[in-house]
Amino acid sequence: MGRTMRTAPALLLVAVGALAGCGNDGGGGGGGDNGGANYPSDDIRLLVPYAAGGPTDLTTRTVGSCLEDELGETVVVENLPGGSGALATSELVQAEPDGYTLSLVTAGTMVLTPLANEVGYTYEDITPIGVMADVPSVLAVGKDSPYASAEDLVEAAEAAPGTVNVGVPGASTPQGIELQRLADDHDVEVTVVPFDGNAEMTAALLGGNIDAVLINASQDVTANIDSGDFVPLVASSEERLEWLPDVPTFTELGFEGLTLSGSTFGLAGPAGLPDDVVSTLEDTLRSCLEQDEVREGIGEDYVPDEFADAGELADILERTHEVYEPILG
Amino acid sequence: MGIMDGLGEGFSVALDPTNILYVFLGVLIGTVIGVLPGLGPTATIALLLPITYELEPTSSVILLAGIYYGSMYGGTITSVLLRLPGEAASVVTVFDGHQMAMQGRAGPALGIAAVGSFIGGTLSVVGLILLAPPLADLAVQFGDPEYVALTAFGILLVTYLGTKHPVKALCMAALGLLLATIGRDLVTGTSRFTFDQVELFDGLDFVAVAMGLFGVGEILYNLEKTEKAEQIKSKVKNIWPSRRDFRDSSGAIARGSVLGFFLGVLPGGGGVISSLASYGMEKRRAKDPSRFGKGAIEGVAGPETANNASSTSAFVPLLTLGIPPNVVLALIYGALLIQGITPGPQLIDNNPEIFWGVIASMFIGNLMLLALNIPLVGFFVQLLRVRAGILAAFALLITMAGVFSVNNDVFDMWVVLVFGIIGWLMKKTGFEPGPLVLAFVLGAILEESFRRSMLLSGGEFSIFFTRPMSGTLFAVMALVVLYSSVMGIRRRRQRSQLPGVAEEELRATGLEAEPEGTAGVAATSGRTDGRADDDGVPGTGGGSTRAGGDRP
Repeated sequence: MGRTMRTAPALLLVAVGALAGCGNDGGGGGGGDNGGANYPSDDIRLLVPYAAGGPTDLTTRTVGSCLEDELGETVVVENLPGGSGALATSELVQAEPDGYTLSLVTAGTMVLTPLANEVGYTYEDITPIGVMADVPSVLAVGKDSPYASAEDLVEAAEAAPGTVNVGVPGASTPQGIELQRLADDHDVEVTVVPFDGNAEMTAALLGGNIDAVLINASQDVTANIDSGDFVPLVASSEERLEWLPDVPTFTELGFEGLTLSGSTFGLAGPAGLPDDVVSTLEDTLRSCLEQDEVREGIGEDYVPDEFADAGELADILERTHEVYEPILG
Repeated sequence: MGIMDGLGEGFSVALDPTNILYVFLGVLIGTVIGVLPGLGPTATIALLLPITYELEPTSSVILLAGIYYGSMYGGTITSVLLRLPGEAASVVTVFDGHQMAMQGRAGPALGIAAVGSFIGGTLSVVGLILLAPPLADLAVQFGDPEYVALTAFGILLVTYLGTKHPVKALCMAALGLLLATIGRDLVTGTSRFTFDQVELFDGLDFVAVAMGLFGVGEILYNLEKTEKAEQIKSKVKNIWPSRRDFRDSSGAIARGSVLGFFLGVLPGGGGVISSLASYGMEKRRAKDPSRFGKGAIEGVAGPETANNASSTSAFVPLLTLGIPPNVVLALIYGALLIQGITPGPQLIDNNPEIFWGVIASMFIGNLMLLALNIPLVGFFVQLLRVRAGILAAFALLITMAGVFSVNNDVFDMWVVLVFGIIGWLMKKTGFEPGPLVLAFVLGAILEESFRRSMLLSGGEFSIFFTRPMSGTLFAVMALVVLYSSVMGIRRRRQRSQLPGVAEEELRATGLEAEPEGTAGVAATSGRTDGRADDDGVPGTGGGSTRAGGDRP
């Protein structure tokens, strides 16, 4: 430990120094005057609004290292967790729009957080670049559940409103709001039980303490689906998931509009990013997402088959905003 | 996974050269900080927490666990030689250990402590292997009402068992619970006490709070004290205890192992209480109790065995229920959270390499400690010559750089400094940070579980009493409260006639070791020993059997 203790602060200082330097160069040299003609000519900061180790971090790091290879400049991935994504997003919207500060964005950080809290930015304060990954949600029950299908579960909830307990990963999450919309728009009332993340929900479902979960189908969840511990009943996507061909969507079941509980991981820069910078990044991202290495890194199932570009990411955020504003605003 | 498969995997993880290095570093640092008065395992682990972020999860727990049980060895050395307990769990060792040293038997005192610690630690690892997997299997069935009961029980025991002033401890626990409410409300999503500060949306960072209260608070407090530089007079020779010493202490070691194991599992337990309880037990069992305090080897062997056994068994509730039983384990819980691993019933299944790797590393670590301690006692004593100021400046630098590195957030550095000052003021005024930090950690679990229980039951409180596990736990809690109130009244009546012997001894030495966080040293020992004189460690021993019985 002696050695680690001595070198850790020194490394940090070096790292901080390097970052500070990069900020200056980026602002002075790369941005403004030259526009995007010779972009990029400097290090790129890529922010992650969540802690290291989760699916967002994995996705950003995989894309980051590909961008680095393709663009020939160093991409520094930086985790800035906190404030439900507001810390990193504030950092992004306040950065120079020169393409040297980018961030992962989600409907959570861009739409939910600003609607629920006073954070000083809205979903319009960024320039969308493209979608990196799409992690759907599934409504799942345990293997010994009395509900063999979505219809069973809905029937039970309609027969006795509030008796079916469904776990979600938090109150202000797309999943929580989706269940609220299920009650408001479709009169199917379940008791929403918020947990802190996937691990807690998984434990509660396996222990038989809740009836179902509406959960992000990240790799820990697909592992439980594969092993048979989770039985997926409904998928949140607009169309059936390729890897769960027998699982219907909410739309198929007659719940029009309930397609927003999945998580879209987008790439974005600050508002006012020059068009040529956006198109450089868009093209690079597109070609990255076609590479097998990148697709495997993120998880084949999560990379959209067809690249969703800047316009589509903007659409997703705007649509989400329209739906959420009356609920949260 | 069977025990044999598990151990096989565990040793393959622990025998990885990197992990062997971390076991070694852990026990070495543990011994060193055990020797240095003022820098206990809590402060050290708090300070090193962010650095473990860079390690593999298994390595980081191996390292931190090594520091914890290593410090139990180190504290003995100065207790025996200098009458200066290096950390809180070795305070009772002073009574007989230092007497032995005065009689020229420092060697056997240290030797029996090392051997006892080794046996206690090893037996406790075996207990951990046998108890943890079935407990985890059972815990998978635990729902929110059970977690409400467990966390409430933990907070109760922490304030009741491990402190000098229960009232002050309750205040601190209440403050910890209050601090835990800062941030977003889990159920409604409303922000609480955030004052529109984005940094507070997710609540205060546990690592920063713990580092401030324990790390910086301790550093500031120690700087105030004048350095006690003492000459080391005698050379230690003949470490290996005689055959007679072994015969005299074998019973104490056996009892200490069992006692330590159960007190370690208990919330609020840990090294300090275990060593005190063991000392009380040995004294009560002895044919001639008057030998105690005059160099009885059982008085060294028992407590030293017990504190080591408890520092290992304390991992049981963390690794099976996800509930840290004392502050050191709360910090290790934090270390796992930083790594994105939430300890709980699924840990053994999902991360077998952590569970079995740590267990295997404990076998190796205990062996290393035995090998380290016996020949190197003289070297460790020399460490006391390091000036406190240098140590403090160094530790502060690491703290600040470390806490920044976890979230890349300058705000956390301010949190550390503010809580450092609060921790320092608390120490000066006799409030202990232990209950605060533990309540802060458990409070978040308690509130979430309580709110969810209410959602699940539709607001009916009966959910807590109709389920067998949570019902039993609440009943036990009621008994503990009742029992402690009755005992408190009885003790108050008797106090005028019967001052505890140990209390006087402690006062005479003017000892003030750094608490492990769970317990205030000086007065706890007075209290527990006082109780031991009444009717034999009722509070601690009795509590442990009861809780132990409830844990299947």
